[in-house]
Amino acid sequence: MKFLHDILEKQRPAFEKGGKLEKYFYAFEALETFMFTPATTAPAKGAHIRDAIDLKRMMMTVVIAMLPPLLFGIWNIGNLHYLALGQADATFMAKVMIGLQQSLPIIIVAYTAGALVEVPFALIRKHPINEGFLVTGMLIPLVMPPDIPLWQVALATIFAILVAKEVFGGTGMNILNVALTARAFLYFAYPTDISGTKVWTFLDGGKPIDGFSGATALGVVAERSTQISEAKSDFAGQAVAALADKTYAWMPDLFSFESMFIGTIPGSIGETSTLACLLGALILIATGVGSWKIIVSVFGGAYLTGLLLNGLAVNAYMDLPAHYHLVMGGLAFGAVYMATDPVSAAHTELGKWIYGFLIGVMTIIIRVFNPAYPEGIMLAVLLMNVFAPLIDYYVVQANKNRRLKRATV
Amino acid sequence: MGDLISLAIRSIFVDNMIFAYFLGMCSYLAVSKKVTTAVGLGAAVIFVLAITVPLNWAINEYVLKPDALIAGVDLSFLQFIVFISVISGFVQLTEMSVEKFAPALYSALGIFLPLIAVNCSILGAALFMLGKPFGGGLGGFASATVYGLSSGIGWFIAIVLLAAIREKMKYSNVPKPLKGLGITFILVGLMSLGFLSFMGITI
Repeated sequence: MKFLHDILEKQRPAFEKGGKLEKYFYAFEALETFMFTPATTAPAKGAHIRDAIDLKRMMMTVVIAMLPPLLFGIWNIGNLHYLALGQADATFMAKVMIGLQQSLPIIIVAYTAGALVEVPFALIRKHPINEGFLVTGMLIPLVMPPDIPLWQVALATIFAILVAKEVFGGTGMNILNVALTARAFLYFAYPTDISGTKVWTFLDGGKPIDGFSGATALGVVAERSTQISEAKSDFAGQAVAALADKTYAWMPDLFSFESMFIGTIPGSIGETSTLACLLGALILIATGVGSWKIIVSVFGGAYLTGLLLNGLAVNAYMDLPAHYHLVMGGLAFGAVYMATDPVSAAHTELGKWIYGFLIGVMTIIIRVFNPAYPEGIMLAVLLMNVFAPLIDYYVVQANKNRRLKRATV
Repeated sequence: MGDLISLAIRSIFVDNMIFAYFLGMCSYLAVSKKVTTAVGLGAAVIFVLAITVPLNWAINEYVLKPDALIAGVDLSFLQFIVFISVISGFVQLTEMSVEKFAPALYSALGIFLPLIAVNCSILGAALFMLGKPFGGGLGGFASATVYGLSSGIGWFIAIVLLAAIREKMKYSNVPKPLKGLGITFILVGLMSLGFLSFMGITI
């Protein structure tokens, strides 16, 4: 390692001010700091805040926290692949290989496409490339279905990094969550490749076994909920029954509460496993990188809205037990990795509670009342990103008023 | 009652004047630099919409519609000109009376009151109202009032949101050619991406 670092260090003078490659300093710096630690540290004298955490370490912590859902997602792609083809006895390694074969290209394309936008911007506008790029490049593959065409990944990444991030000035200055902008872009531009029942299970052109359906849990429930009825007996328990009905020969208890919690269900690469997301949440909360207030309030808002709808139920979806909502779809992933994005979330402490709670509420409202969108968390987080500055504004104003009142008494 | 609530929610969020119809963009983009002024203009828009939409509804229902005034006479070709006159007349009237009776409010609203006369969302709401199945009588009047009020609230929410974001954007490092209006257009586009979550909601 020292040997590599020395080689890199030797090139440094050429990139520094006055060197012949001065223009490319930020590309060089990015390469060096991605692989090693930065050369500059806080001086022994004069720095008032001493903490090991900086933007670099914070972003790397997020990348590490994303490993549980990523690793689980890789296995899950292979798992569903073999189950759907009727080869339930495939080995663990075979499943992982299939998962890697599908997910690695997506990750590589997302990083490359991101770099295509980010590096020229950094060189021309002279801002450093930092690890926020690594986070976005990892989040985008995690919210894509395993079968997504790679050119769409590239297009969405370029759009999101360009329009949602770089035109605002790069890391830390965006208004909307970059990875979610990428997904929303694909969702509205190429809806058939990112929704429906075909895309969530990677079949590799093989013929699935009889009775196979690639529908997600959210899709299954939505399908059963078209009938509105006055009589409670017409729909009570129907949603859970619909989920239980999807027990196939190829996958017993596909949509039981436990398997949805563990995540052996069809869905985007990283979103299926609530368990893995909670593991990531532990890392984020323990290191203080992600706000536990936002995570807790998203779950709380979703759960309370679910309970409220249970009380008012007129169809099977509204009757779905509230705790099912928490493990279905991408709610956990969105709550842990998307809503906590420190840039686009609310910044004030009270604001975080409000912001998270409203995300939870909106997620369930979109899921239940909007037949056009089976999943709600993505749009709910984007919507609340738009509301976050206003929430902050009024929290700050209220705080000002409160203190002014105290000052004048 | 349920219909009215549904109408209100639809016109605030789903058929939002800004994010669904792009109406009233000029003052929306121009007066959204600070939250306080945005609140002032938004409140004025709510007020004017809540009055002029039912007013125009009544005029249309009892004067302009075919057979409304005199059997066999159809005055609906006058809709545009009558609506816009009602709106500008009402805005003028409001401005004068606010200036006379509440000078403090008048100076707070300043230029925004007269600006509203040319705000497309006001005339837009009056014209959209024609296509909506409000019916006649008291029910129609109530629907028109709710429609005007909640369209105004939708516009209010949109402009206050944009103003809060633009205040936050003081810290952003926007490329020089995009500064000002350019980035605001991109921003509004991204905001309407967020508001797409309401599209298709059935209540």
